[in-house]
Amino acid sequence: MRRLRRQVRRLDFRRWKWERRSRKLAAEPSSQSTSAIKTSNMTSLTAFAFTGPALASSCRHMQSSALPIFSRKPQGLLSLHRWAQSSSPSRLLQGPQQVRQSCSRAAFRIAASSEERHYDFDLFTIGAGTGGVRASRFAANFGAKVAICELPFALVSSETRGGAGGTCVLRGCVPKKLLSIGGEMRETIEAAQEFGWELDSPPRLNWDRLRENKNNELQRLNQIYMKQIETAGIHFIEGRGKLVDAHTVEVNGKKITAKNILIAVGTKSIVPPIEGAEHTITSDHILDLKQAPKKLLVVGGGYIAAEQASIYKNYGAEVHMFYRSEALLAGFDKDCVEHITEQFEMRGIHLSASTSPVKIVKEENGQLTVTAELKSGEKITLDKVDQMLMATGRKPNTLNLGLEEAGVKLGEQKEIVVNDINQSVSTPSVYALGDCAFRKPLTPVARMEGTTFAQHVFGGMKDVKPEYDCIASVVFSSPQLATVGLSEQEALDKHDNIDVFLSSFKPLQNAISKNEGKALMKLVVNADNDQLLGAHMVGPEAAEILLGMSTIVKFGITKSQLDRTVGIHPTSAEEFVTMREPARQFRNKKLQEE
Amino acid sequence: MAKGHDYDFDLVTLGAGSGGTRASRFSAQKYGAKVACVELPFGFISSDQVGGAGGTCVIRGCVPKKLLVYGSAFAEEFSDAGGFGWKASKPDFDWTHLMSKKTKEIERLNGVYNKLLANAGVELIEGRGSLRDAHTVEVALSSGGIRTLTADKILLAIGGKPVKAPIEGSEHAITSDEVLALPDLPTPRRIVAVGAGYIAIEFASMFNGFGVDMHLMYRKDLPLAGFDGECRQRVAENLQQRGLHLYPKTSPTKIVKQSNGSFSVTYKGDTGESTLDDVGLVVFGTGRSPNTKDIGLEAAGVRTEKDGTIIVDEYSKTSAANIYALGDVTNRLNLTPVAIMEGMAFAATAFGGVPTKPIHERVASAVFTQPPMATVGLSEEAAVETLSGDLDIYTSSFRPMKNTVSGRAEKTFMKIIVQADTDEVVGVHMVGPDTPEIMQGVGIAVKCRATKAQFDSTVGIHPTAAEEIVTMRSKTRRVQGKAKTEPDTNESRSYQQ
Repeated sequence: MRRLRRQVRRLDFRRWKWERRSRKLAAEPSSQSTSAIKTSNMTSLTAFAFTGPALASSCRHMQSSALPIFSRKPQGLLSLHRWAQSSSPSRLLQGPQQVRQSCSRAAFRIAASSEERHYDFDLFTIGAGTGGVRASRFAANFGAKVAICELPFALVSSETRGGAGGTCVLRGCVPKKLLSIGGEMRETIEAAQEFGWELDSPPRLNWDRLRENKNNELQRLNQIYMKQIETAGIHFIEGRGKLVDAHTVEVNGKKITAKNILIAVGTKSIVPPIEGAEHTITSDHILDLKQAPKKLLVVGGGYIAAEQASIYKNYGAEVHMFYRSEALLAGFDKDCVEHITEQFEMRGIHLSASTSPVKIVKEENGQLTVTAELKSGEKITLDKVDQMLMATGRKPNTLNLGLEEAGVKLGEQKEIVVNDINQSVSTPSVYALGDCAFRKPLTPVARMEGTTFAQHVFGGMKDVKPEYDCIASVVFSSPQLATVGLSEQEALDKHDNIDVFLSSFKPLQNAISKNEGKALMKLVVNADNDQLLGAHMVGPEAAEILLGMSTIVKFGITKSQLDRTVGIHPTSAEEFVTMREPARQFRNKKLQEE
Repeated sequence: MAKGHDYDFDLVTLGAGSGGTRASRFSAQKYGAKVACVELPFGFISSDQVGGAGGTCVIRGCVPKKLLVYGSAFAEEFSDAGGFGWKASKPDFDWTHLMSKKTKEIERLNGVYNKLLANAGVELIEGRGSLRDAHTVEVALSSGGIRTLTADKILLAIGGKPVKAPIEGSEHAITSDEVLALPDLPTPRRIVAVGAGYIAIEFASMFNGFGVDMHLMYRKDLPLAGFDGECRQRVAENLQQRGLHLYPKTSPTKIVKQSNGSFSVTYKGDTGESTLDDVGLVVFGTGRSPNTKDIGLEAAGVRTEKDGTIIVDEYSKTSAANIYALGDVTNRLNLTPVAIMEGMAFAATAFGGVPTKPIHERVASAVFTQPPMATVGLSEEAAVETLSGDLDIYTSSFRPMKNTVSGRAEKTFMKIIVQADTDEVVGVHMVGPDTPEIMQGVGIAVKCRATKAQFDSTVGIHPTAAEEIVTMRSKTRRVQGKAKTEPDTNESRSYQQ
């Protein structure tokens, strides 16, 4: 084994030398932009050495739902799987496959260099968020010559500010989850008293300390992204990239050509044009406030609104939510929405449905007075508001990017219209992924699209496509809501006969603490073939619990298979395998009476 | 009179723990059997005279343990909260307060079990039951007197009890029953726990959280024998980092009670014999044995192993044709949900007309240390031992997001074991926060023989620890299974609802 590994290393070294030579021979972009381009001296060899589990790729996305599902004898998977193994770059260091792999890399370079037209890069990526970096790294690992541009680092984004890591790391998932963890600690500390811990005084929060620690972590992650870019041998350019034509990007006044251009510029918050809207903030700001607000108004009823309302409620603010629709969290399963609405009310969040703000006035002391209109036409006023968050939607960051000028087709929301492999439908050399393609704006989806893009375009895996079915999503509110597959309503749209299993219970820790919070679990089953269509949960640890459930929903596990699984006791999760009797049954789409 | 027979009941169950209760309820409610269930009067410390509906899990096991573990875990929260800006110095802890809350909750659950049985139409008879012959149970009623019950079928679900290692002074030590009903933390605040199975190690971890100077002595070189080796290593490291004193390859030889009430524990390790003084409490987590003494098994023709374990076939039937046994007393896989599964399979077999085998393969379980560990399927060692061909091992070690701000150095560890030629996942193991909750869904997939490719094609949930399970792309190593031929893994009929 060790000898084999040494051989592999030697082989990799040889490939590295060969590539370095070929790279030197290729025209250097330095002739165009010496100062702006931070050329990385890292080699592909080190790039592979750094390829940890989280960084490595897989070509296994390719198997489709047509595959045998959890078959006892998965012979059918075998050949496909072997193929996946042999062509996966992540397996490079592990076996003789690497010979084939390095050949294919060489083949790619030769093919690239024999192109009729010469380009500075094989791939130019605009935007170093999750999707852009993933795509670029994997493309580079396949031997492509890659450049990526990104705006200078800042926590609040703008036309001139961004930073490697993108929305997820700097203005989304990560800071949100950190603030959420911190906020839920108040509840934990308070619950501790019921478990016999004697607190002298109620817990006090040092907001500056929290903010500093959070920001240190964001900076660390930003640096990790920069390092990943460097390690993969990608040219990083700090600046705003703009499309000049189908093969040319302009950054900092320099024109750079590329065979393929990838747009991964994400989205930004939109603020409706109401009077005084300039006094409001967006999700960028609320994740980095200098002071925790004492009174917060959240406008919107989507997941961002729900999360921020929960977070600041936990930090002790008086929180109000105004939303236009009748219910929170449109699109999520109705039972879950009802349950979480109750839990929000129990926690003291003031909910105001069918309510739209119409005017915002900033008082002398800096506080806001907000007038809003109810559906009935009645007007209400909320005053002494410290912060007002507009969580009223996001839209693709595609303005002033030169896209329309270059003929790249944009959709209604200004998203880049792409086909099933993230290629622009109008301009074949342009690809777009992640939020700006506006499919499912989730980090792991952008990551998946990045992987499949690189495999498809640079890895020669023409069958690989991103798969959008059964992707779990989570609202990190208190309590969390996590969901995968079809909601009851969606299931009824698609199927005639449905069984719904429900369980609402007090998590064991709440048996002792005064927390009255209850968890809800729900399964939606196709009664015709017993197949699980959806799994939903509201409650502590819902996000962690749902991951495994998403695998089994995706692969069509049946309810009886679930019933045969032995639970882990005592957990909340075991409730998913102990629900015996359906709470509701639909036959021919009609609710059956008891 | 039970229908169609000359017996008082279709079924008499001895023991109203998780397995006995489930079996009785299903037999009565689902299949219409006339059922009586015999259980001892309620109490926290079990004995020949004390038990209670709910059994070990509810009264002396899983539930009280997890409540105490929750209580203890706050210590960690207090220190972590500092990084998140909360000013909350670690406060004093009042054990009696927690105990009274715990007692209330357990009493409530005991009531719930009584009610479950009553609602199912099962007659609960309080007293000590023993077998007079294969169809007759004699109950020494706790209200006085003796009641004789005849039954078509009899189910033994009488569980196990903790045993102490036979060393000098072992009478000074306590077992898990007493730990979970301890009136106060000991003085001096130093505890020696003996054994490193999951019971001993959970207690050690729990007491450490409550600020006790904790010493853990065990015979092997790592705690948690039988679990995945790398995970055992991780658990040991975590415990050590949290301030526990570990004594591997160590056996206590003598416990002496001093005049001030404290104990001195003499132990033998690699370096010879030493003594630890000023010990406030000695806890034995040195195993459990089946509760089969003096209940008339011979009279009814029920055979046992030497250690008292009732021998059963794959349908939980004993050597007596009409007598069944399940749960810990059969010492198959001593877990609450397994006893429940066995109970449902028994009811289907005995009264539902559908012979059903409980399946003990690929059962997920958790160890509630701090941080906890969760596991399903084969450990790497067991996989190498029992499988043939190439095995791919995927591992990941990462700092959970909370720890990046709290400053806690601990890392979460995850491991997937894949049979290379079929791509089937044969084992998943994790050590870290929330792993028992994460494991449940993963466990279902593993139970349903999911392949690694299927895990890989699952899109993660961001940001969670769980998503690591579906993003482990490159294998850490490949090992060879030592078995000559692949064992037959065909599942036979599993139980139907």
